[in-house]
Amino acid sequence: MLQKREKVLLLRTFRGRTLRIVREHYLRPSVPCNSPLCPQPATCRNDGKLLSSDVTHYIIPDWKVVQDYLEILEFPELKGIIFMQTACQAVQHQRGRRQYNKLRNLLKDARHDCVLFANEFQQYCYLPRERGESMEKWQTRSIYNAAVWYYHHCQDRMPIVMVTEDEEAIQQYGSETEGVFVISFKNYLDNFWPDLKAANELCDSILQSRRERESESQESHGKEYPEHLPLEVLEAGIKSGRYIQGILNVNKHRALMEAFVRLQGASSKDSDLVSDILIHGMKTRNRSIHGDVVAVELLPKNEWKGRTAALCENDHEDKALGESPSEPMPTGRVVGILQKNWRDYVVTFPSKEEVQSQGKNAQRILVTPWDYRIPKIRISTQQAEALQDFRVVVRIDSWEPTSVYPNGHFVRVLGRIRDLEGEIATILVENSISVVPFSEAQMCEMPVNTPENPWKVSPEEERDRKDLRKTHLVFSIDPKGCEDVDDTLSVRTLRNGNLELGVHIADVTHFVAPNSYIDIEARTRATTYYLADRRYDMLPSILSADLCSLLGGVDRYAVSVMWELDKTSYEIKKVWYGRTIIRSAYKLFYEAAQELLDGNFNVIDNIPEFKDLDEKSRQTKMEELVWAIGKLTDIARHVRAKRDRCGALELEGVEVRVQLDEKKNIRDLIPKQPLEVHETVAECMILANHWVAKKIWESFPHQALLRQHPPPHQEFFTELRECAKAKGFSIDTRSNKTLADSLDNANDPSDPIVNKLLRSMATQAMSNAMYFSTGSCAEDEFHHYGLALDKYTHFTSPIRRYSDIIVHRLLMAAISKDKKMGIKENLFSNKDLEELCRHINNRNRAAQHSQKQSMELFQCMYFNDRDPETEERCLSDGVIYSIRTNGVLVFIPRFGIKGAAYLKNKDGLVISCGPDSRSEWKPGSLQRFQNKITSTTTGGDSVTFHLFDHVTVKISVQASRYHSDTIRLEIIRNQPYMIPDTELCHQSALLLKSELVKEVTRSVEEAQLAQEVRADTLQEEYQEYCQTKGRSLYKLLEEIRDLALLDVSNHCGM
Amino acid sequence: MAGLELLSDQGYRVDGRRAGELRKIQARMGVFTQADGSAYIEQGNTKALAVVYGPHEIRGSRARALPDRALVNCQYSSATFSTGERKKRPHGDRKSCEMGLQLRQTFDAAILTQLHPRSQIDIYVQVLQADGGTYAACVNAATLAVMDAGIPMRDFVCACSAGFVDGTALADLSHVEEAAGGPQLALALLPASGQIALLEMDARLHEDHLEQVLETAAQAARDVHTLLDRVVRQHVHEASILLGD
Repeated sequence: MLQKREKVLLLRTFRGRTLRIVREHYLRPSVPCNSPLCPQPATCRNDGKLLSSDVTHYIIPDWKVVQDYLEILEFPELKGIIFMQTACQAVQHQRGRRQYNKLRNLLKDARHDCVLFANEFQQYCYLPRERGESMEKWQTRSIYNAAVWYYHHCQDRMPIVMVTEDEEAIQQYGSETEGVFVISFKNYLDNFWPDLKAANELCDSILQSRRERESESQESHGKEYPEHLPLEVLEAGIKSGRYIQGILNVNKHRALMEAFVRLQGASSKDSDLVSDILIHGMKTRNRSIHGDVVAVELLPKNEWKGRTAALCENDHEDKALGESPSEPMPTGRVVGILQKNWRDYVVTFPSKEEVQSQGKNAQRILVTPWDYRIPKIRISTQQAEALQDFRVVVRIDSWEPTSVYPNGHFVRVLGRIRDLEGEIATILVENSISVVPFSEAQMCEMPVNTPENPWKVSPEEERDRKDLRKTHLVFSIDPKGCEDVDDTLSVRTLRNGNLELGVHIADVTHFVAPNSYIDIEARTRATTYYLADRRYDMLPSILSADLCSLLGGVDRYAVSVMWELDKTSYEIKKVWYGRTIIRSAYKLFYEAAQELLDGNFNVIDNIPEFKDLDEKSRQTKMEELVWAIGKLTDIARHVRAKRDRCGALELEGVEVRVQLDEKKNIRDLIPKQPLEVHETVAECMILANHWVAKKIWESFPHQALLRQHPPPHQEFFTELRECAKAKGFSIDTRSNKTLADSLDNANDPSDPIVNKLLRSMATQAMSNAMYFSTGSCAEDEFHHYGLALDKYTHFTSPIRRYSDIIVHRLLMAAISKDKKMGIKENLFSNKDLEELCRHINNRNRAAQHSQKQSMELFQCMYFNDRDPETEERCLSDGVIYSIRTNGVLVFIPRFGIKGAAYLKNKDGLVISCGPDSRSEWKPGSLQRFQNKITSTTTGGDSVTFHLFDHVTVKISVQASRYHSDTIRLEIIRNQPYMIPDTELCHQSALLLKSELVKEVTRSVEEAQLAQEVRADTLQEEYQEYCQTKGRSLYKLLEEIRDLALLDVSNHCGM
Repeated sequence: MAGLELLSDQGYRVDGRRAGELRKIQARMGVFTQADGSAYIEQGNTKALAVVYGPHEIRGSRARALPDRALVNCQYSSATFSTGERKKRPHGDRKSCEMGLQLRQTFDAAILTQLHPRSQIDIYVQVLQADGGTYAACVNAATLAVMDAGIPMRDFVCACSAGFVDGTALADLSHVEEAAGGPQLALALLPASGQIALLEMDARLHEDHLEQVLETAAQAARDVHTLLDRVVRQHVHEASILLGD
């Protein structure tokens, strides 16, 4: 096996003094070439990704090209790219880990046609570096030599283009070998991809920004920022406790002044710091950007500052510093950046007038990011004027200490400002969500199910799976109009008198093979994204709405969990996990199930499955079903009671459901009756999740994916406790049990909103539930606080969550562990799983944010069309839920909006209310107390606002060119709006919310029709961003609930 | 320092080997004439020299003599120029003592000591260049030297190290890989019987992975055995030709 030859590579490293290190370097006659043209694939051991065979040439980028133009090489249009190992190492050493990881991911990505060739380990490609030869020259020479070898290896059948930035190399090698062309990158793009406009533009913009940077580094004017310390110093400093490591978090409302560093892991243990560290001002922030991992040095105590508690408007720098900030907190300055987390930013170019005022250099323009937390970015482009009305994506290249703002380059255009599609695209980019339609290759992996060629259960599967079609009565209970049914239930009596409860989940993993194209795509998406008016599916609709959906009356594959329960005590005696075939007998909806449960049998006329039966069989079938539902409810009650004893929490839930007709239009919005059936189904799902979590943890103690919900920090509850005290309730937050009980007690009979607000405050104080890999966490941290379970995972919705797919695979591996080891190979190791969990958690957060932002977008668009002076709708009832020094935070139950209302305006006038309780602005002062705020005018009138006071607010939209529009609230009267008939309010509220989405979409569509001529482009955009036209609003609302509560109230269908 | 990638996505290590591959091994027996047995080995860039004296009478205190078997005395030393930075190591420092003890345990298990009661066998090992896996190189060199001295042994003792990076076990760590600070396991094996003469482990490793790492090290030790066996046969062949003349 040792057919290697040895060569010695001489390296010099510097560690204080010169060191001569001799390292071995082994060469081998064959390394994988990964080309389909390879004459001896066996000796090359070409496994894994191959280049595609339908390219006209291979392209080999030089190291410099890989370093600078990686973004362009990422274009899927560029095919047949061979990255030489030499180039990759150059990236690793000179561009740092971030860039290198990007390259690695590109190579791993099965969708992208590129491979790595380990030329330095190849006997014939390796060239030792000659004495006195510069590193750059040697790298280029090696890459060229490898390119020539590769060309001959493929038997001269495929021309190779080496692209380089080195003019000398072009001259020297340009015509040395026939079939291997050496040209510059710009030249390559111009000649081979003249139509790929985006790439060409990107190339220009990169070139230009590089030139700028070079010219700038030559001009050496005074430094704006101190230099960052070298990484070794930082690492040593963090170890010794001198510096503190953390993630920079910029305060959205005072982006220029305040940023906080949230401590990370180890460093927080050593120092006795509890709170975050304040970074005050741009200078001390020292060029770090929101999200970066930074090292911070604490300032001496006398320089500590306090955070500001006053409300302030985003775009104005706070001038009214009259009020004193809160007590000083640890303050520091950034000494270095450990990891830059730069992403793509959406920006807006300044309008024409502003450009002119910016001065002489018309090519360098300061653009304003959409995200408040990101500083302005300097772009050099000639297209500034043309791009004025668009939202544009840019990337940051560098931030020199000499420059006030970072430098960036323009990447692509998203859409017009204020255009619905443009704004939605903005939200997607800002949350790093990419939703291209599923590609041809991905769809090819999908099974077919057409009327001509219907999908059938295959005989092999029939043999391997347990067949429940004849033996079990399986049914699903979902909201009306649901099309992706991923869970069904069954219950029956066994021969020995015990009960058997079954939960059957769609077997998505049967259709989605590990590491297939569709799997990789689903992994990247990680979840289905629900925006206010559309959704982006994780899986193609053939799976999500058809083959994986457990519809009534058809055979489907499922993964089942079945428990044997004692007939009387309902204690679990046995549990069985496995793959099954089921045929769901009834696809019920909640109301019908509830009616059946209540003994109201008229409802069966509404159940399509009963329609074609004669009276007798109908009667027996119905009795069967009613018995099953009744039994289920009994069991669920029992399980729930057990969990309640351990302190499970019930936090605020959504009170509305949307009813859809056959065409999925919203027919009606009914306030959700808290039906018992909901709880029944949810309880069964929680039970299944819990038992699956136990099983996979037992089988794979260090590589199972579970979900934890850490107990909340007590200090976060302070606000909740104080608010409750204002109303005379006491909230005990010592454990989840006491919290649940005291929240139940804190109910003001005259004002149900109080309880709702308290619950939502409790929710806010909670930590987020997260996925994690069991190998990286101690066992006592697995606990799920909200559900009061020791182990929990997500198993029941594989159609719309990738975590469930992983859990399914784990479960399958766990039950077939003894039989074959093959499945185990597809599982992730602890480290990979941990990384994946981080990714999924991240994506879930992005989904949450994008949903919230899109909802806000719709709210703004809705109120934008209305004139707040005349329109009745813009007046509403609001509840004060928090007091700040210059204003109050108000919750508007009718629209579900939370926002700030000022009691002191920009001119320093304060609010006062006359005898008719209308408000006016008058000079005066504000005084803030624990749970009230008093505004006193110079005339001596005063008005006081208490917590939980009802006021009338006017809603208007504050337009912004650079950012998203915001809702603005103004207190009109210190009396409740009209009659605070909350019951009525409730109903109309949610009605409005959905109406709002509908109305905005409609008006956009109308606008589209009006511009029929230009509609083509808009239509295209619509197609591009919207995969399913069906606007299933119930999904949206269900999802809001799911996301907001983080499965605290996990429900069926979820 | 942008941390070195010990195992690339393509499965190559820093020096171009794959996970289970050994470094190049070259060895020679009978390098000195004045000693009873001697050998020199190169494992990649790790170079070690071993000499054996004995069995002979106990030197020094007679009280050390064992009534039923021979005393194995091992001494390890490392040249000042053996590591990247020149470093003077006094004779008998902690590291050499420990290494000497480990070698002694290893060879106590391998040499048929009961054949030479009340006598002593001296094994001196000198490392000329250290580039990872010094213990393994010392054991392999000493085995050859003991054989050269004609001292009966149960079997070869073959040693090899193994490490663990990103879920993969690496055989025969080089200095770069050792310096990265991951778990490292040194194994001395009697290949014919599969018995373990010595097993040492640095740093923490989850017990679930231990089997994998152990198997890699054992396989590497068996590979070392094939090579050493070839060296011995070659040496014997040459010697017999010389004798035949």
